[in-house]
Amino acid sequence: MLSTHIGTSADLPPWAVALAAVLAVASLALLLVEVRREGRGAGAIAVTGVLAVCALLAAVLRPARVAARETAVGPRVVVLADTSRSMALPGDDGRPRSDARDAAIARLAKRGADPEGARLVVLGFGDGPPTPLGDREGHGEASARAAHSDLGAALRAIAASAEERPAAVLVVSDGRLDDPPEDPSPAALRAMAASLRVPIDTVATTASAPADASIRRVSAAGAAVAHVPLPLRVDVGCAGGLACDELTVTAHELRDDGPPALLASGVAHLEDGKGTLDLTITLERAGSRIVEVAIAPQKGDAVPANDRRLVTFQVARERVRVLHVAGRPTNDVRALRQWLKSDASVDVVAFFILRTPTNDVRASTNDLALIPFPVDELFRDRLPSFDAVVLQDFDAQPYGLEKYLDDLRHYVLGGGGLVMVGGQKSFVAGGYAGTPLADVLPVQLGDSNDAPSADTSPFVPDWTPAGRSAPLLGPLRAAVGDELPEMPGANVLGDVRRGGVALWSHPSRKTRSGAKMPVLAIGDEGDGRTIALGVDGTWELQFSDLGARTAGRGHGALWSGLLGWLMRDPRFEPAQLDVVGGCTAGLPSTLRARLPPEAGTAASPAVRLEVTRIDGQRASLHLEAPRPHDAESVDFPLPPLETGAYSARLSAADGSATRHDFACEAGGDEWADTRPDPKRLEALAEATGGSFTMASDAGSLRLPRPTTVSAERHVTPLAPPWVWTLSAAALLGIHWIARRRNGLS
Amino acid sequence: MRSPDPLRLVALAVGLAVVLTLLAPRPARAFGDAGAFDPRVLVTGSQTGPAHASAPARWAWELEQRTSAPARLHPSVVRADDPAIIGAPFLYWSGDAEIAPLSNEEIAGLRRFFALGGLLLADDAGAGPHGEPSAFGRAARREIARVLPDGAPIALGTDHVVFRTFYLLHRAEGRVEGPEGLEAIVRGGQAQVIFSEHDLGGALARGASGMWEQPVVPGGELQREHAIRLAVNIAMYVLCSNYKDDQVHAQFLMRRRAVASP
Repeated sequence: MLSTHIGTSADLPPWAVALAAVLAVASLALLLVEVRREGRGAGAIAVTGVLAVCALLAAVLRPARVAARETAVGPRVVVLADTSRSMALPGDDGRPRSDARDAAIARLAKRGADPEGARLVVLGFGDGPPTPLGDREGHGEASARAAHSDLGAALRAIAASAEERPAAVLVVSDGRLDDPPEDPSPAALRAMAASLRVPIDTVATTASAPADASIRRVSAAGAAVAHVPLPLRVDVGCAGGLACDELTVTAHELRDDGPPALLASGVAHLEDGKGTLDLTITLERAGSRIVEVAIAPQKGDAVPANDRRLVTFQVARERVRVLHVAGRPTNDVRALRQWLKSDASVDVVAFFILRTPTNDVRASTNDLALIPFPVDELFRDRLPSFDAVVLQDFDAQPYGLEKYLDDLRHYVLGGGGLVMVGGQKSFVAGGYAGTPLADVLPVQLGDSNDAPSADTSPFVPDWTPAGRSAPLLGPLRAAVGDELPEMPGANVLGDVRRGGVALWSHPSRKTRSGAKMPVLAIGDEGDGRTIALGVDGTWELQFSDLGARTAGRGHGALWSGLLGWLMRDPRFEPAQLDVVGGCTAGLPSTLRARLPPEAGTAASPAVRLEVTRIDGQRASLHLEAPRPHDAESVDFPLPPLETGAYSARLSAADGSATRHDFACEAGGDEWADTRPDPKRLEALAEATGGSFTMASDAGSLRLPRPTTVSAERHVTPLAPPWVWTLSAAALLGIHWIARRRNGLS
Repeated sequence: MRSPDPLRLVALAVGLAVVLTLLAPRPARAFGDAGAFDPRVLVTGSQTGPAHASAPARWAWELEQRTSAPARLHPSVVRADDPAIIGAPFLYWSGDAEIAPLSNEEIAGLRRFFALGGLLLADDAGAGPHGEPSAFGRAARREIARVLPDGAPIALGTDHVVFRTFYLLHRAEGRVEGPEGLEAIVRGGQAQVIFSEHDLGGALARGASGMWEQPVVPGGELQREHAIRLAVNIAMYVLCSNYKDDQVHAQFLMRRRAVASP
């Protein structure tokens, strides 16, 4: 339906209309002053003057009749609702803060339901750009799952969006935000809204803190390096009326080879509900290590879940500490030692057996440069300080190592690396069959030490399919291609054990099962890794015709790959694992495996994932997924997991495996500090020109006015322009005559 | 019924033992010989063998008797221009007379050997009583200078690791007493060429009759024992390089030296 009103000519800009009106009013004011001063004939002058001014104004404005179809459109108001995990914490009434958030949004939506009310767009913010609230997660506590509360990222995303710019932004939160941080400057807050150029209104869901003692922050001074003490700063706090003057803090490493290992402990003294404790921990193993930092439980604590934090450290190695033990000096020992010593990143502790009881040295002890083999010190006291142990052509029994083979097994299960290199005194010939150490080698060693120990026929090892594609042998293949030197013989090895992969095999010798005998095999055992190399001729990668053609690079390339794989160098891992967006206890998550490009295989081999709780208290989770041809990553949806540390092992079709440890926490950083922060919201509103209110008063929040939009418009002049001009000229002339008659100029 | 013939029974038992021995898995002893210390004899020009033919085998035998290191009791001989020169990390070059200049092929072969990290012992079998070099000693240095033009020999004092790789030695000795130390061309901390002016091979050489071939002067049999110990140490240096320089050994050996020194 059309509505009609009188307007000005459409060719006049608003400022010209205003200027004409101002000039008209000024003219009338001058006329009034003039008439008051002149008593004679004032009436005629005033009447003709007013008429002349009006006619002149009409000549400028040229009035028209406007018929238009117009509607009032409510302003677009973006409501940013906090969807972080902290909204699941108890609010003022004991119910989740998300309930107060949803109630506030409902009140605002009720106002938006008016015909000329605001158009509310409700988005949830947490990690990165905001998403429509309720599309996936719904409302209530289910929409309080984000691991962060990044308001800054949400505002930046709205400002960069191509959608209609909002007339106002309204934030509904508990105020415990990642960005802006606590106690921000007004300038920083203004900068957050600068790109939007609209005020930010804020609604606080919660005012009071629950009774809670918690670990608020764990920060490390620098990166974690194996064997190097790492200072930790632990911030603890008590709030909500919970009385605690001091809190006992402990740090344990969660391990899958035994109970949690205590790394450090101390007592934090609190003042004004806050305290800080400095601890120093030393992590001996590289890779991802999970440390539990916990406080003693407090009576009356409403949020006990944040009494402990699971912190994942990516422990690097400054230098790889290798214990190199050789049963006798040979060219193979020489080559390996020279390579180990040539690598500046490797710290070698070497012990070679240079004399046996049957040797006749024909000299007194003082004439010998020999020292006792410190087997007790090395394998009982110092073993955890090594990243890898290389047993090369070394038999356990004569040197008292037998009693430490179980310790070596535990060392591997706990994350250590072990290489057994072949020779006359290795594997079965070294007396390792049937020992605890045999349980962690990647190959079987036969039933007894009476089994044949060696095959002395020269041979050239065959590459297995897994060996051809294994990243750890990539450097060797780059140096020598498919070619390998002839080996003078091999230790007799059994079938590859579960979790092991053969990379080289014997061309003719078979295992008991009929499979080709492995010559080089790798395997994951517990938290550690082992390598079985059943030959003592890899030095011929250096001193041979092949070595001469490749400048001897093959030997270093082989050992670089073997040691790198043992130390979980990412370059040699068959896959990279990561939990997308982290893991929150009780919520489903996704584990992504990034795989190296496949070399044109027609089949689509499956990859298998095993997820195990590190403490072994729950059954393992087994998942399998086909590997897409055209993708380099595979996503495994994980069901909701309980709070704890987990180990994910990915096995490719060829048996190669990689491991990734991760932690699932109930609240993570979002629950570390349970105190709401309405002051932060108030400061944000004040700095950006918005208004602040509590959730209960959200309905009274002042929203922007609606905008009128014309859908159809017809403009008809009341008279032609010449009529207005002629009228103005005539009336001005009459006014001039009246003035002259009364003596005015 | 005839009783079994004892002789036939014995013959049967011996035959069975032989068959079982042949059928049994071959002992692991042979496995690993390829990596054993091989005092390979280097011959160049018109040379046909080492100055003392029995010395390399005796060296290997002494090493096996005294240490855990395996050694080749029948050392190989390789020509400098033979592609097989790069088949093992050690060469033993000895002589007592002038040698012909190395051919281009011989120089190339030796360079390939050194490039892979090989070590050469040049033993002057004609050295004088006080280590005066013979024609071979001078020629060996001249020719090695052509092979390794960037390397110059430096003195290896008795504090070098080669004097404590197995035995604690206070000086170098061979058939002749010679200088106290050795000389070597060192690259990257590793000796590439060791020059001996002591005729180590002369002290090691032993004839088929079991008698030592050369008298050792001036120290007699004690000096011969010291020469053998030096040979053992050099072999251990080949196999273990600077193992005894590792910190864990260094302190221990320092204390022992202090005790053993007069």
